[in-house]
Amino acid sequence: MNPLSRREFVALAATGAAAAPFALSNAGASAVTAQDVVDRIRKNVGVEWRPETVDTFKSGSPDTVATGIVTTAMATMEVLKQAVKAGANLVITCEPTFYGRADSATPPPRRGAGPGRGPAAAAPPDRVFAAKGEFIARNNLVVWRFSDHWRLRKPDPLAQGLTDALGWSGLRIADDPARVSIPAVRLDALVSRIKKTLDARGGIRVVGDPQIRVQTVGVLPGSTPIHASLKTLPAVDVVIAGEVREWESVEYARDTVTAGGRKGLILLGRVLSEEPGMNVCAQWLRTLVPEITTTWIPAGDPYWRPL
Amino acid sequence: MRTLAAGEILARIKSHLGAPWRDATYRDTFKFGGPETRVTGIATTAFCSLDVVQRAAKAGLNMIIPHEVTYWNDRDDVTIVGDDPLYKTKVDIMRKHDIVVFRMHDHMHVQRPDFTYVGSARALGLDSKYETAPQSHRFTLPETTLGALAAGFQKRLGAKALRVVGDPNAKVSRIQLGVGYASPSVAGPDIDVIVSGEQQESDGMLDSPAYVLDAVSLGIPKGWIMLGHAISEEQGMLEMAHWVKSFTPEIPVELVKAGEPFWAP
Repeated sequence: MNPLSRREFVALAATGAAAAPFALSNAGASAVTAQDVVDRIRKNVGVEWRPETVDTFKSGSPDTVATGIVTTAMATMEVLKQAVKAGANLVITCEPTFYGRADSATPPPRRGAGPGRGPAAAAPPDRVFAAKGEFIARNNLVVWRFSDHWRLRKPDPLAQGLTDALGWSGLRIADDPARVSIPAVRLDALVSRIKKTLDARGGIRVVGDPQIRVQTVGVLPGSTPIHASLKTLPAVDVVIAGEVREWESVEYARDTVTAGGRKGLILLGRVLSEEPGMNVCAQWLRTLVPEITTTWIPAGDPYWRPL
Repeated sequence: MRTLAAGEILARIKSHLGAPWRDATYRDTFKFGGPETRVTGIATTAFCSLDVVQRAAKAGLNMIIPHEVTYWNDRDDVTIVGDDPLYKTKVDIMRKHDIVVFRMHDHMHVQRPDFTYVGSARALGLDSKYETAPQSHRFTLPETTLGALAAGFQKRLGAKALRVVGDPNAKVSRIQLGVGYASPSVAGPDIDVIVSGEQQESDGMLDSPAYVLDAVSLGIPKGWIMLGHAISEEQGMLEMAHWVKSFTPEIPVELVKAGEPFWAP
């Protein structure tokens, strides 16, 4: 590409098209690497970086020059394919790329191995792990996980993203992104609206009488431990969560309802609940890395239901 | 009316178990009441929910044997929940009905056969003639599609909130059955579908539904059918009821279903 003449640049700037003059002046001279992007995130996230964290590179070289950034709740094969199509090679994912918390490009030792059960046996080669790794390498992708520190940012960007996506930005209680007061609505109507808005397939599950009217909402995306439910459910009419342990929050909600509490618990699924928060991440990265394009690519609801 | 001490019932459970009792268990202990409580009848169930407590009491069954928790956390640690008004409500109701709760989890899973698998396979129609080896929990069915398989399970169980990952049109026949939260690996080359209770969506120690999503993208037919934790293990508590009844003939023993907690839009 020929460098723009000064006259052309002024003309572009006058129409407002040159939204990122920084990019023009820096073109070629100091390309942004994946590591540069991560450094800017670390500097600006407003959370002290933890020595033990899952927020690390999972695949690809940090020195790779970033052609574009994709944010997503989960770097599935489909998301990676769409990233390549969009010309982006840096994928920032909230959830693991390689299925488990270990997030390593080779399968972890199978269960049944380990202390007390004999030496840990290496897992046999795995077609899915291998194909994903090859796809990443072939397309020169870099995958970096952004979970621990993104969740700790204030105000909570995942709760903010979910409430914004549901159209509740102006309805926060005391500026808490995790609490909103909405116009009173029947629980079943609320659930239908959420399903449509978030483009959910079959992942949403609900505890509580569909006919109760609800107004105050606790928004707890991601994975919700019992402590958070104990704290939140008594204070609101309905909790919208991502993923919980069924023997914890689901049974707590069930008992709450049996005891006469006119309350509900809506489970969206972990990925679906985190997706809007990664849209917020994309918006933030556009201010942080204006040189290149950042795109949010949702992984979508993993679940469907028969019938 | 004949009654038995809860401690006597526990002693009979231990002597009939067929495996040594492990005192180190934090799960299989009294959660309310104790060995001295006089028992008029026994209710087995997946979860000791407040609803189960009330229905069991109404049926004259004051001993509850749940597979899962009473106080909404795995250790039934009351220091976590003790300040919650719902805890007091639940305990007051249990006290009023002279309830005794003894959890059977770890020892149920070491027992052979493991009733949770027996019950789940029965409810799903996974006949033993399809099982590749006794207690392998692996079944080779006549080839079907993931969609048809899931629809059949949903109909049999009446499950409202069953969830599936994978391509509905994928041709499948080799099923690995899991129960509760302990799901087997979906990665094995000789497994098409996992049927299990509850599974962490991602970021866990074990395989996750995310693996299935990617397998599908790569053209590898895999599927995961999640029944829900309660639905998955509750049928095994019917086996448990029959077993306990066989050595406590003096009193009634019944399954009091906790049931599926969910509905779905």
